[in-house]
Amino acid sequence: MTTTVDTARSAGTPPPAARPGARRRARRPLADVAVPYLMMLPAVVLIVALLGWPAIQVLLISFRKLDLGELVKGKVVWVGFDNYTNVLSDPGFWEIGLRTVLFTAGAVVATLLLGLGIALLMRHLSRWVRIVLQVSLVLAWATPIIATTTVFQWIFDQQYGILNKTLVKLGFDSFQGHSWFSTGGDVLIVIGLLVVWQAVPFIAFTLYAGLIGTSKDLYEAVALDGAGGWQAFRAVSWPAVKPLLTMVTFLSVLWDFKVIAQVWAMRQGGPDGGSTTLPVLLYLRGIAASHFGIASAVAVLMLIVLVAITWRYMRLLIRSPETEL
Amino acid sequence: MRVWSKALVGGVAIALAVSGCAGSSGDSPSTSSQAPSGPREITVWLMNGSAPKGLLDSLNKEFESTHKDVKVKYEEQQWNGIQDKLTTALASNDAPDLIEIGNTQAPKFASEGVLEDVTADADSFNGANWLPSLKDSGSWDGKQYAVPFYAANREVLYRKDLFEKAGITTPPKSRQEWLDAITKLKAANASDPEFQALYLPGQNWYTLASFIWDEGGDIAKKDGTKFTASLSTPEAKAGLEFYKQLVDASGTKAPKDADEQTPEQAGIYAQGHVAMMIALPWEVATAAKSDPSIKDKTSAFPIPSKTAGKTAPVFQGGSDLAIPANSKDKDLAKDYLKLITSDKYQAEFAKAGMIPGTSKDVSALEADPVNAAMAAASKNGHALPATPGWATVEAGQNPLKDMLTAYLTGAKQIDAATKDADDALNKAFSGS
Repeated sequence: MTTTVDTARSAGTPPPAARPGARRRARRPLADVAVPYLMMLPAVVLIVALLGWPAIQVLLISFRKLDLGELVKGKVVWVGFDNYTNVLSDPGFWEIGLRTVLFTAGAVVATLLLGLGIALLMRHLSRWVRIVLQVSLVLAWATPIIATTTVFQWIFDQQYGILNKTLVKLGFDSFQGHSWFSTGGDVLIVIGLLVVWQAVPFIAFTLYAGLIGTSKDLYEAVALDGAGGWQAFRAVSWPAVKPLLTMVTFLSVLWDFKVIAQVWAMRQGGPDGGSTTLPVLLYLRGIAASHFGIASAVAVLMLIVLVAITWRYMRLLIRSPETEL
Repeated sequence: MRVWSKALVGGVAIALAVSGCAGSSGDSPSTSSQAPSGPREITVWLMNGSAPKGLLDSLNKEFESTHKDVKVKYEEQQWNGIQDKLTTALASNDAPDLIEIGNTQAPKFASEGVLEDVTADADSFNGANWLPSLKDSGSWDGKQYAVPFYAANREVLYRKDLFEKAGITTPPKSRQEWLDAITKLKAANASDPEFQALYLPGQNWYTLASFIWDEGGDIAKKDGTKFTASLSTPEAKAGLEFYKQLVDASGTKAPKDADEQTPEQAGIYAQGHVAMMIALPWEVATAAKSDPSIKDKTSAFPIPSKTAGKTAPVFQGGSDLAIPANSKDKDLAKDYLKLITSDKYQAEFAKAGMIPGTSKDVSALEADPVNAAMAAASKNGHALPATPGWATVEAGQNPLKDMLTAYLTGAKQIDAATKDADDALNKAFSGS
């Protein structure tokens, strides 16, 4: 049970020992001390059972040979680091890993810039225009992923896509029958556009929420001091959105790194494996081929890469007082 | 210390986010609890769109009337995601008693020993009349784990009116006649800028397989349970070259980097500017949804061979039936199999426009010209390499598709394209 209590602490409540009144605690009856923890217990048990246990399972399975046969017969075969050597010795893994990191970086930067731009824009728009923009954003956000992906596939279709037709009508004849999916890079750019398009609304709304928290007086004050638009942004808007920006960057990295539905639906990681990312590799090597041990090993490796990328952000999140739970 | 424990929570949070991709191995489907002793129940899983409803009703009725106190629990399954669902169902303590599996998925299940060995019972399942291609797909290492159910194969659907207009009186019976027909069709429809004599997308690899077999080659060579890809052989290359010749000659506007499903070829055919497409018989009905008049204008001929007068070998897609090793009522499942593989019920499949898996009687198909062409071609039906690795090939990045696109678009020369495909297939066959 000690682990449960530890997790409860780390979930956000400052440990009582850190409080100045810690010395008085010894005299308080035990019940007083225990009650807050007891009240948290159901939630903690749920979190550990629903979230912690599967995570530990993934880690354990990554050290097992778990194919269809083992799964059906319930056999437990430990193979040590075999799954990891198998995955890491494949030169394709490193290429795919790098591609995934670059894709994530590109998508996150584009999402944040666009989201921030729209959030700032919303502050300056008249009421009706803003409402129209907000409704459009919500609609884009609410459309199911696969529906959007299908629409994007149609837009970029080689023969019947509206994009090629429009470009030809505008006089760019070379786009007649142009394939937007001829190389892996091209496919990833289209997927990136799709992912950004779906992610921007949430980011824009979150940052906008941060911006409306700042009072108009502050902008007037800096304007009186002779600040231009850029200086007003730096002095007033930036401090307001910075903690939120840190948080949404962190979230975006997580989301974009593990995106699979759009990548798979667009070209199944093709052509010739050129747009395969780590989640697609996990599906292909692990789930499709029924090598669940290998799937778990890839999942653990993805986790390690993610922690490595987001380490700084996690520390910032944990330390910055604005995001304290 | 505090930072560390918080970081740990963060780490776990990411682990969950990531494990979301891998989580499908844990949960088992919600099948109802085991029937109490006394009255028994047999759970049968068939796929959506397989056995006609009327057939099942009378079959289940007959089974229940000959088996006192036994109830048939019939559940229709969807193809989408079936592999994962079967995996979890076979692993559970409450596995279904009889399942239908796609013939390209069958070797994967057979080789893992999760299905009941039915080698000894073949005779009671109409074993003498089994469709050879489906029999191959259900066997592993000399033993039979799955029983043929039904199959279908591709043929060339064509527009009778457009053939007449181009002065083609009899359907092509050799590759050369096929190419000649394309030339005539193009000449007769030169005024239509959208006209395509043959709609053939770049990744219709079932058709490529036909051409390769017709040349005497194969996708892979079998040695016991080991398969080695053989696309670099001169025969396979000749098949690939003919595919390109056909694409170039036909003036097809179909994408070179997609298969016949994206966009759905029946929809293109229904627009009226396509004279032929290589398709399954029921794609006529799909096309008729957009244009009902197209049904009467359409007929079919088997894919012509390079040898005049013969039909090209065709890939036979279809289903097998199998008894999961974890089934608790194997005796009942075998009785059910005996019934469904009998001539009486197999004849119903032919009537429904499919090639029966355990009966040689295809006369019911001959009434309709579109089905008749399939039946004619079915005598030369082939199976794909019966290796567990094949399920992986079809589940994801099919090296045959990549090879076709790379060769047709000129991204790779034929030697590089076939060698890369061989390497990718061998990797899939090796199972890692």
